[in-house]
Amino acid sequence: MSTQDLTDTPTRRSAPSRRPRLGQLLSQLIAVMWTSLAVLPFLLIILLSFKSNTDIFSNPLGVLHVDWRPENFSEAWSGPPGGQGFVQYVFNSVVVTAIGVAGCVFLGSFTAYFATLASPRVRALVIAGFLAAATLPLIMLLIPYYSAFSALSLLSTPWAVGVVYACLCLPTSVLILHGFYLGFPAELREAAAIDGLGLMRTYLRIVLPLSRGPLVAVGLINGIFVWGETQLAIVLLQAPESRPIPVGLLDFQGQFSANTGAIFAGLTLATIPLVLLYLVFNRSIAKGIALGGVFR
Amino acid sequence: MSTRSEQATTGMSDATLLRVAAPGGRRRRLKTSPQTVAMLLPGLAVLAIFFGLPVLDLVRTSLSSWSGIGPREWTGVDNFAEVFSDATIRSALVRSIVMGVGVALGIAALGTVLAAFVSRGLAGSRIYRVLWFLPGVAPPTAVAVFWALSVQPFAGVVNVVLGGVGLGDDHAWLADPSTALIVIIAVGIWQGVGFAFLIILGAMEEVPVSVYEAAMIDGAGGVRSFFQITLPMIRPVLSTVVLLNVIWAFNGFTLVWGMTRGGPGDSTTILPVLVYKDAFESSNFGVAAAVSVVGGVFLLILGFAVYVFGSRKAPDA
Repeated sequence: MSTQDLTDTPTRRSAPSRRPRLGQLLSQLIAVMWTSLAVLPFLLIILLSFKSNTDIFSNPLGVLHVDWRPENFSEAWSGPPGGQGFVQYVFNSVVVTAIGVAGCVFLGSFTAYFATLASPRVRALVIAGFLAAATLPLIMLLIPYYSAFSALSLLSTPWAVGVVYACLCLPTSVLILHGFYLGFPAELREAAAIDGLGLMRTYLRIVLPLSRGPLVAVGLINGIFVWGETQLAIVLLQAPESRPIPVGLLDFQGQFSANTGAIFAGLTLATIPLVLLYLVFNRSIAKGIALGGVFR
Repeated sequence: MSTRSEQATTGMSDATLLRVAAPGGRRRRLKTSPQTVAMLLPGLAVLAIFFGLPVLDLVRTSLSSWSGIGPREWTGVDNFAEVFSDATIRSALVRSIVMGVGVALGIAALGTVLAAFVSRGLAGSRIYRVLWFLPGVAPPTAVAVFWALSVQPFAGVVNVVLGGVGLGDDHAWLADPSTALIVIIAVGIWQGVGFAFLIILGAMEEVPVSVYEAAMIDGAGGVRSFFQITLPMIRPVLSTVVLLNVIWAFNGFTLVWGMTRGGPGDSTTILPVLVYKDAFESSNFGVAAAVSVVGGVFLLILGFAVYVFGSRKAPDA
C-alpha cells in the first residue's frame, strides 16, 4: 500500500456522506415526529390537569382564555367523596416500592456476586434458573400468589406485596448485576483475601461499595416496574385503603367520572415525578438496560 | 516467557481455559466452595418459593374446582376440556397472540429504525436518546387512562387533531369493537419502543466501525449496509427483543384493563383479562388456572422457537 492510498482515504470517506441528503432529511423528519409523539402527551397531561372540566372538553389544546383550575390537585390529593385520596395511594406505593427495590437490589447483588465465584457449571445452572424465572409470565403466578396470600391472611397488606415484588424483581436484578460482576477485577478480591478478609466481609467492604453505579441502575429499572405494576396489585391489594398509585388511578377513572380535571391531576402526580427522576438519572438507567437488558 | 505460559496453558483443562478467557479473569477455582454455595442459598430459595412452588400450585388448582375460599375439589382434566372446547377462551388466546405479535413487531421495527438513526449520529441524537425512553417511564395505568381519554370522540385530543386535519373527530375508537384492539396495540407500541430502542442501539454500537468503513470502500450505501451488515449482526439481540416483547404484550393486562376492561363485548379480552374475570369476578379459579397454564405453555413453546432462531449464528459473525 503506497502513501497515496492512505492520503486518499479521507476524501473517500467524506464523499458518500454528502450524497444521501434526502435520506438524512427524511430521518430527521421521522425523528422529530416520534419525539413529539413521545413528549407531547406529558405536556398535555400537565396542561389538562390545570383546566376545568368544561375547558377539557371544549378547548383541550388551547392555552389562551382558559379557566385555570389548580383545585384539581387538591381534589385529587384528598380524593373523591367516599373514595381514597392520592395521598393514601402515594403512601402505599412508597411502602411497596421501597421494600421491593431494596430487597431485590441487595439480595440480587449478593446472589449475582457469589454466582460469579462459583464454578462455571454451577454458575451456568444458577443463571439458567434465574433466566427461566425472569421469562415466567406473571399470568402463571397471579392465582397461586392470591391463594397463598389468602391462606396467610396477607391480602391487602402493602408490605407483603413489597416482599413479593422484591422476589419478582430478583431474577432481572441477578441477571443484570451478574453481567457487571463478571467483569469485576479478581485482583481486588485476591488482595482482600491476602489482607485476611473473609468472603462475606470482602463482599460488604470491597465489592458492594464499588458497585454503587450498577446498583442504582438496577434499583431504578425495577423501581419503574414496581411503581407501575398493576396486575398483581389489583388482585392482592383489594381493600381501597391498601391500594398503590396505579390501582388508585383506575379507581379515579370510575369515581371522578364527572371530574376529568381531577383525573388529569392524578395522572400528573403519578407521572411527572417519575419523569423528573428519569431525566436526572437517565444515563444510569440507559447503562443498566444496556448491561443486561437482553439478559445475556 | 512465552514458552512458559504456553506450557502452563497446555497443562490446563478445558474448563480452566474457559475461565481464563472469561472477562475479569477468574482463575484457580475448579470447584465451588461450600461457602459460596451457602451464599447462593437465599437467592435459590426465592426461586423455589416464589417461582417454583407457585407453578406447581397453579397446576394443582387447574386440575380442581375452587371458588377462591374453602377446599379444592379434584376434577382431573375437566377444566382443560372446557378450555379447549370453549370458543370464548379460544378467541381470547387468538387475541393475545395478535396483541403480542402486533406490539412486538411494531416495537422491534420502530426501535430498529430509531436506533439506526441515532447510531449513525443523526443531529440531535443526544437529546433523542433521552426523550425516546420517556413513555417507558410512565406507569402503565397512567398511560392507559391518558390514551383512553384522548381517543374519546370530539373532546379527546387524538380526535381533535384528526378533526383538525379533516379526518373527522367523532370516531369512538375504544367503543368500536373493530378498532379497540388496534388502539391498544398502538399504545403498547408507544410505551414499549423506548426500551427496545436502547437495547438495539447498544447492539448496533457494538458493531465495529471498521466493518462499515470496509463496506463503504466497497461502495455500499447507507441503506445497503444497514440491511447487509447492521441487521444480520444485531439479529440475536433483535430476536431477544421480539421475544421479550411478545411475552410482555401477551400478558399486557394493564393497558387493556385501563382502557377497555376487555370490552366492548369481548373484543379486547386477552388471556390475562379472561383469567382475571374468571377468577376474581366469577370465582371460577380452576378454569382460570387452566387458562393460565395453557397461556404459559404456549409462551414457553414460542420462547423456545424464537430462542432457537435467534441463537443461530449470524452469517457474518
